[in-house]
Amino acid sequence: MATQKTDVVIVGVGAAGGIMAAELGKAGIKVIGLERGPRLKTADFEPHDELRYFQRQDLRPDPKRMPVTWRPNANATAHPIPSQNNGNQAGGGTVHYGAVSWRFHEDDFRVRSQTVERYGASAIPEGCSVIDWPLAYKDLEPYYERAEYELGVSGKAGNLQGKTIEGGNVFEAPRQRDYPLPPLLIDQVGVNFNAAAQKLGLHPFATPHAILSQPYKGRPGCTYCGYCQAFGCHVGAKSSILVTKLPEADATGNFTLITGALCYRVNSDNSGKVTGVSYYGPDHSDNTIEADVVVLSAFIYDNVRLLLLSKTEKFPDGLANSSGHVGKHIMAHIGARAFAAFDDRHVNVYMGPSAQKNSLDDYNADNFDHKDLGFIRGAQVSAGPAGLEGGPLGTAMSMPPPPGVPHWGAVYRDFFAKYYTRYTALTGQTENLPYADQAIDLDPHVRDAWGLPAPRMTYDWRRPNERARVEFIQKKMVEIGQAMGAAHVWTAPFGPGAPGAHHQGGARMGSSPKESVVNKYGQTWDIPNLFVMGSANHPTMSGFNPTLTIQALAYMTADAFVNRYKKNPGALL
Amino acid sequence: MAKHDESRRKFLVGTAIGAGAAAGAALAPQALAKTAENHGSHVAVNEAASHDAMMPLMGGSHGAFFNDDNARTIAAFAERLMPGAPGKPGATDADVLNYIDLALSGPYADEQDFYRRGLTQLDAHCVAAYGKPFRSLDTTHQDETIAALEHGKSTAFSWPTAQAFFNTVRKHTLEGMFADPIYGGNKDFAGWVLVGFPGAQMMFTAEDMASREAFTREPIVGLQSRLKGKKT
Repeated sequence: MATQKTDVVIVGVGAAGGIMAAELGKAGIKVIGLERGPRLKTADFEPHDELRYFQRQDLRPDPKRMPVTWRPNANATAHPIPSQNNGNQAGGGTVHYGAVSWRFHEDDFRVRSQTVERYGASAIPEGCSVIDWPLAYKDLEPYYERAEYELGVSGKAGNLQGKTIEGGNVFEAPRQRDYPLPPLLIDQVGVNFNAAAQKLGLHPFATPHAILSQPYKGRPGCTYCGYCQAFGCHVGAKSSILVTKLPEADATGNFTLITGALCYRVNSDNSGKVTGVSYYGPDHSDNTIEADVVVLSAFIYDNVRLLLLSKTEKFPDGLANSSGHVGKHIMAHIGARAFAAFDDRHVNVYMGPSAQKNSLDDYNADNFDHKDLGFIRGAQVSAGPAGLEGGPLGTAMSMPPPPGVPHWGAVYRDFFAKYYTRYTALTGQTENLPYADQAIDLDPHVRDAWGLPAPRMTYDWRRPNERARVEFIQKKMVEIGQAMGAAHVWTAPFGPGAPGAHHQGGARMGSSPKESVVNKYGQTWDIPNLFVMGSANHPTMSGFNPTLTIQALAYMTADAFVNRYKKNPGALL
Repeated sequence: MAKHDESRRKFLVGTAIGAGAAAGAALAPQALAKTAENHGSHVAVNEAASHDAMMPLMGGSHGAFFNDDNARTIAAFAERLMPGAPGKPGATDADVLNYIDLALSGPYADEQDFYRRGLTQLDAHCVAAYGKPFRSLDTTHQDETIAALEHGKSTAFSWPTAQAFFNTVRKHTLEGMFADPIYGGNKDFAGWVLVGFPGAQMMFTAEDMASREAFTREPIVGLQSRLKGKKT
């Protein structure tokens, strides 16, 4: 059993933790980062292997060793979900993600107020626990810019200082500066999507990606190999934390990364402060780190689990849980899907950046009038491969054949052989709302390889408001598929109510300790030297991917920590 | 030689399985010969070479996991899911059986009992319905059986359920068709040739991305091997 001392211990060195490690290290603060997985290198990612990384999910947690269970409601038995969203290595999910990098809309930060002002309080669905964020877009805008420029994001502005720019996302919130890099090259999926959307009077654009369209900061540009989502980048063009912030953290001389470390408890004393963490090493050793500040920046499952596992007599319901909101209000994107297949052209969906190649924002957020639609909020619509990466195995696993075509046999074979290089998937990434009974707690029956209770999700997206949104978006996507001139357009059947992608919530931020777990800096209301960061903080989820917002918030927290907390430790920011 | 060797040899050659053979094939795909009967697909046929190349590796034995009857069953099941035809390589051509056999002896070892029980239940279903195990049915009855499993219409299954067994064999068949040949299936890139996938290319050019035609630049790229001169 080893004991180490440090200023700050960071549990989970991914999108948020990696930024904190680098920025605190630069300010002379001693940081230890704990990571349960390995630290990989760019050289580990060549050559590409779809079975290993897409199908067997080699960059994600092993669900047998680290189960996360799910049940649709409190009366059902929970079972482990087959795959998890998050990463399992230094750099976290940014190693394997599709690198889609959005700024949220202005109204994404004030969903409750926006809805009530425009549609009246009765438009908020029954049981929905939505609150506004404790900050506005303009507060975060400088940090979005910093994240885009420090990490490297490719895209085209659609709203530069209030001026609309055609070809960018005309619905985006105003930005002070354009992206640091131009958009990635467009492929045939994007060409077809853009033409169809324009024909329908919509506003398509190249999805912003944290993938370098040109050499930047010593890293090479994208080779368009198509192995983005689910894979590590073999040239380091994907702006993952692994190739951006971790080298910066190393260079400070103040950062130590411990890999193979499974944190199982946050330690606290009777004064009401946390004192450090305990973790199991790769050799099953039991170790302790004493620290002035603890930052939990694992994925939402482990952030919530650690708060609950660390209960004491002083904190009988878990740490930072005087509000009772720990583990509550979780959300997940549901991918409403349609498919278009062409007889007269190949689109070779396996080429180019793999995830959400081109997008439209016309049906997202409150960008369209929801009056009489039966739902609030929307979805980002994009075109790309069915499995978010374009290999044949991912497509076979992710694309149901059209009605009339069986799932096996000669007819299926001929369908797949003909259309694999001639199809486009359309995905509506829906902004599902928070409800208090959508929650994570500790599974009383299922344990992980360390003997700890698994995080258990209780969640069912099939609520009237969310169902109406999905049906609306699917109709719009069928229209787009038809406008593409596809020979076949069909939709995917709705699955069970299981959570989809980008799980968020569980330690939400808010304006008061009564309705939330943390303040806008991720600092817990109850324990000022305990921070919880990452998408667990998000009170609402937007129809956009969460990572750039996680990163912008981390830059904002790092600034506040270095400039204010360091001078006056223990006080609320 | 054991008394069953001759029939086994015929079976192995005829169905293009041979776990041991194709385990070697993954390491040196061009050194090992093709199968005698593969629906006239893209691969060259050399029966004599096939016998010579395979038998020493067979060692008079079978694959790494399945017994011979179960190997025949899975080979037949997979072939009905992804049947081969002239110019269209199927599960047998791709050596899907070998993929599944190696997977169950290694990374999917915790699914061994799932397969054992599933196969026992499958044959119980077939014997009740047709008086014969699945591997001995004609293809019409095999297809009827698979459809019954797919839709959960079998009383012979408890655990795994009929649908779970169908879904798993289908998933593993598609893995064996489309995973890199290093894992023992997708033999000679059969699955990638079928759908026109060029493999793990390290880059595509602006011209490639601007094209509305099929991408045909060779070679197809795998982890350990390349394929040039593929037939289309």
